[in-house]
Amino acid sequence: MHFLLAKIYKLFFNWVSSGSPSPQFPVSRRAFTASMAAIGVHFGYTCACVAIFKDGRADVVANDAGDRVTPAVVAYRDTEQIVGIAAKQGRIRNAANTVVKVKQILGRSFDDPEAQKHVAESKCPVINKGDKPRYEIDTGEDTKIVSPEEVAKLVFHKMKETAQSALGSDVTEAVITVPFEFGEMQKNALRQAAEGAGFNVLRLIHEPSAALLAYGIGQDTPTGKSHVLVYKLGGTSLTVTVMEVNSGLYRVLATHTDHSTGGESFTQALAQHLASEFKRSFKHDVTGNPRAMMKLMNSADMAKHTLSTLGSSNCFVDSLYEGMDFDCNVSRARFELLCSSLFNKSIQPIKALLEQVGLSTCDISKVVLCGGSARIPKLQQMIQELFPDVELLSSIPPDEVIPVGAAIEAGILVGRDSSSLDEDSITVDCCARDILMKEADDSGADVYTVLFPSGTPLPARRQHTLRGPGSLSSVCLELYQSEGRNSTPQEKVAQIVLSDLEPKEENHDIVTVITMKRDGSLHVTCTEQGSGRSEAVTVAVAS
Amino acid sequence: MLKEAVEGQVTVVCNAIAASVQFQVEPVGRWFEAFLKRRDRNVSASFQELEEEEELSEESEDEELQLEEYPMLKTLDPKDWKNQDHYAVLGLGHMRYKATQKQIKAAHKAMVLKHHPDKRKAAGEQIVEGDNDYFTCITKAIEILSDPVKRRAFDSVDPTFDNTVPSKSEGKENFFEVFAPVFERNARWTTKKHIPKLGTMDSTFEEVDNFYSFWYNFDSWREFSYLDEEEKEKAECRDERRWIEKQNRASRAQRKKEEMNRIRTLVDTAYSCDPRIKKFKEDEKARKESEKKAKAEAKRREQEEKERARQAELEAARLAKEKEEEEAKQAALQAKKEKDIQKKAIKKERQKLRTTCKNWNYFADSEAESVKMMEEVEKLCDRLELASLQSLNEVLASGSKEESKAAVEKQVQEVNAQLQREKEAEVQARQASRSVEQASSGSGGGNKGWNEEELQLLIKAVNLFPAGTNARWEVIANYMNLHSTSGIKRNAKDVINKAKNLQKLDPHQKDEINRKAFEKFKKEHTAVPPSVDNAVPSERFEASGAEANTASWTTEEQKLLEQALKTFPVSTPERWEKIAAVVPGRTKKDCMKRYKELVEMVKAKKAAQEQG
Repeated sequence: MHFLLAKIYKLFFNWVSSGSPSPQFPVSRRAFTASMAAIGVHFGYTCACVAIFKDGRADVVANDAGDRVTPAVVAYRDTEQIVGIAAKQGRIRNAANTVVKVKQILGRSFDDPEAQKHVAESKCPVINKGDKPRYEIDTGEDTKIVSPEEVAKLVFHKMKETAQSALGSDVTEAVITVPFEFGEMQKNALRQAAEGAGFNVLRLIHEPSAALLAYGIGQDTPTGKSHVLVYKLGGTSLTVTVMEVNSGLYRVLATHTDHSTGGESFTQALAQHLASEFKRSFKHDVTGNPRAMMKLMNSADMAKHTLSTLGSSNCFVDSLYEGMDFDCNVSRARFELLCSSLFNKSIQPIKALLEQVGLSTCDISKVVLCGGSARIPKLQQMIQELFPDVELLSSIPPDEVIPVGAAIEAGILVGRDSSSLDEDSITVDCCARDILMKEADDSGADVYTVLFPSGTPLPARRQHTLRGPGSLSSVCLELYQSEGRNSTPQEKVAQIVLSDLEPKEENHDIVTVITMKRDGSLHVTCTEQGSGRSEAVTVAVAS
Repeated sequence: MLKEAVEGQVTVVCNAIAASVQFQVEPVGRWFEAFLKRRDRNVSASFQELEEEEELSEESEDEELQLEEYPMLKTLDPKDWKNQDHYAVLGLGHMRYKATQKQIKAAHKAMVLKHHPDKRKAAGEQIVEGDNDYFTCITKAIEILSDPVKRRAFDSVDPTFDNTVPSKSEGKENFFEVFAPVFERNARWTTKKHIPKLGTMDSTFEEVDNFYSFWYNFDSWREFSYLDEEEKEKAECRDERRWIEKQNRASRAQRKKEEMNRIRTLVDTAYSCDPRIKKFKEDEKARKESEKKAKAEAKRREQEEKERARQAELEAARLAKEKEEEEAKQAALQAKKEKDIQKKAIKKERQKLRTTCKNWNYFADSEAESVKMMEEVEKLCDRLELASLQSLNEVLASGSKEESKAAVEKQVQEVNAQLQREKEAEVQARQASRSVEQASSGSGGGNKGWNEEELQLLIKAVNLFPAGTNARWEVIANYMNLHSTSGIKRNAKDVINKAKNLQKLDPHQKDEINRKAFEKFKKEHTAVPPSVDNAVPSERFEASGAEANTASWTTEEQKLLEQALKTFPVSTPERWEKIAAVVPGRTKKDCMKRYKELVEMVKAKKAAQEQG
């Protein structure tokens, strides 16, 4: 009905607009878009990052400390709350009132095993209040109970301030990324925290999709299907996701998350090495001293960052233990040796995941690297070795990929009148099997061309211009359907014969329009351009 | 390149195609948005078309707009613009509050193009001059709808909005069918995003809870300024304006209150009708009930367990006791039996011994001897144990007369010796008990023994401090402690007890004491002549005497001695042995010594009398 009305109106409007051209609409809209900026926020376990979409491009903005990535650390001191690098550095002295990795318990109940793990690790005391975890902050006179959502809110607020200072104006429209494994409660908690910080959350998107969007995979030419591997090695977690890109739509095939591997593991390994070095030269064991270890961790963190670009790095800690200074050089080779088992552990899930979805490494067309630790050259090398023919996408700094993708999505959504998406998960009717067409190549051998790859969102329509030798008076188009990835035809669906064609010098141009409805039924129309002769078939769905 | 069709090949469908499957896709990217749009409008544009139209997308979006001509448009009265349906006037009657600004603008444009007086005039239509043309209504409509504030005001009183709230009875029947649309249409007034759905019967507790908390905290943007009766702009002066404002505010507040009440009633009704709430409550109740039951059950079980344990314990105790008793009984029975057997055996043995002895004629030659032997044998029968009797009998049975005699005599001797020993032991025991008695009588009621010296001292003290002396007994005690040589500390109580005891003593005892005192006195006097050197051997002698004679002579013994001395005159052969036999616990030596002492005593007395 609506469709019909649209048609009627279209005719009507065309008639109207021909009468008086009205150029003001596009102009006004463009102006509208330009004035509206939107941001993408990535709120990670260890770090948060914000990117702005403005004037058609997305860019990460630096915070007040000049860093493009803000540690997701919140420290409470007396009456003030400190977010970011200052809180992280102050943690050495104020560990009990500093909240780190709040995302781990965000939106979880107290009994949740993940939450329990966080409670065990957290230096800031966590209490159980009505089955919800709460931080207990000592503000000097009294203890304050702070919910994880409030902590997240502070981080979001910091990100908002960062974006505002870069834009010079207020910005509320935001797209927030969430890990794929986040449940409904966690998503809601994150959304509430962001809204509490003054954001208008346009949409919550999954991190791997944001990564794909940042590189614009499948956005330019929406036909065809490919598989992309998203490798995210963040501060505390490793996530590997295999995604299918089909007709510009992304679909997660499988994902694997390991919360025990992350950038911190490497830092930890390096810090242990530094501690043993210190012990060797000064005969003092600092591993039992938490403050010294925290200092060493910070130093190791810096060294690790340096080693991603330089061959060697210097670690220097002033007055590490009993007034003794520590000075040590670490080479990249040493670092790689120290972390070799961790590297192996980080690479391991890829193969398992590919096996799980039944793909081989050559089926993957692109690998997207995200997360700060994906910068490590050794790791990149190892992944490259795993996928020798595949392009590793790392042109965007890995820790900025996800916020950039979120900002791009924000740019798409902002200015839309109805950007809100009621359902969180979108199920789409898709083509179940590959639809293939049999052709002959130059030598006359049979080749099969995929018209609709399996997983194509429906309804869909494709128009192909096929050619037949001009000498022929009749051509035959054979359609097959096949399951699986090897594209070998299994079942002939239909054949279309165009006969009584006039032989001519050039090839016959046959325009073939294939339409698939949402239920999967197929309609094929072939028209020979020269004579206008056409044939059509409708293939019904197997019941 | 397509292949040539083989002869006879025709267009044909040979197989059905696989049905579509559903996948979850990520809600990102422009193609997703395009897809959403297509899906929402239910059109199946191909990607190619979209690609082509990409540049024209701005227009194409507007093109999708569908306008419905308002049939009464031309009959509208411009004066009554306030009561017109602005959306309908612009042809957006089907979109209403969902219409975007862009759509409203486009619709207005379309309307203007069609209904502008100039346009119509050009088409040859008769135009009413001035504001009376219906085109004014279109202008008014766009004026209201293009201004967000005014549009909101109009939306708030949308004439097509159904304000009704289902009643309880309606909701009771089919709750979800009745309430779902009501909540859905009222949700448009919320200022919040993400409106929770009413859900179904299977909704979880959290979902339902979330739903009701949303509706109980419903924050509506609905306002009723559109219904203002007076227009502020029409006022002529400030005062009037203020008055109007006040009036309006009051009526708006009133309406707002009504609206809130309406929502509240709706939610209350829904809440009370909601079968899920009822279910949850019941579940909760059932849960509590079951918990309680389980608790009670557990308690009861515990109690039972305890009871059972106690019972078992008691039972065990009872059984043990019974068993014990039984055993004791058995043992007693056994013992009795054994005893009987033994008795019988012993009887038999005795009989045997007697007969044997009789057979042997008691190993005697004469009658007297045989009588004596008979006595002895009887004694043996009495005294000997079963085993020795048996052995004796065996010996008797096996041996000759002489041997038997020897054996019997040996046994007799043994028995006699044993008897003697027993007798001595008995005498010893008696003596010991007597001495203890004596000691206790000597010490009187006091716990600590009072010796002779102390008694004397006590009597002296009592006489020294006669009745009436202040704190007499304390003084006496002190005096005694001061003068006593025994070193035993006496207190007033001891002293008073002893004194009373002494007073109570029968005359005989008094006599004894007196006599003892006299004896002592005498001893002292007699002991005076020997030099100090003799004191040691005399003491030694006494000590050696004490060995034979553990205790001094009691009055009883004295009496017995005196009696014996009288019964056995000096002429009696073995006089002292006989005397000693009469006085138990005393040897012959003791008696002789005592006698000598007495004689000396009497002599001394006589001498004293003679002297006196």
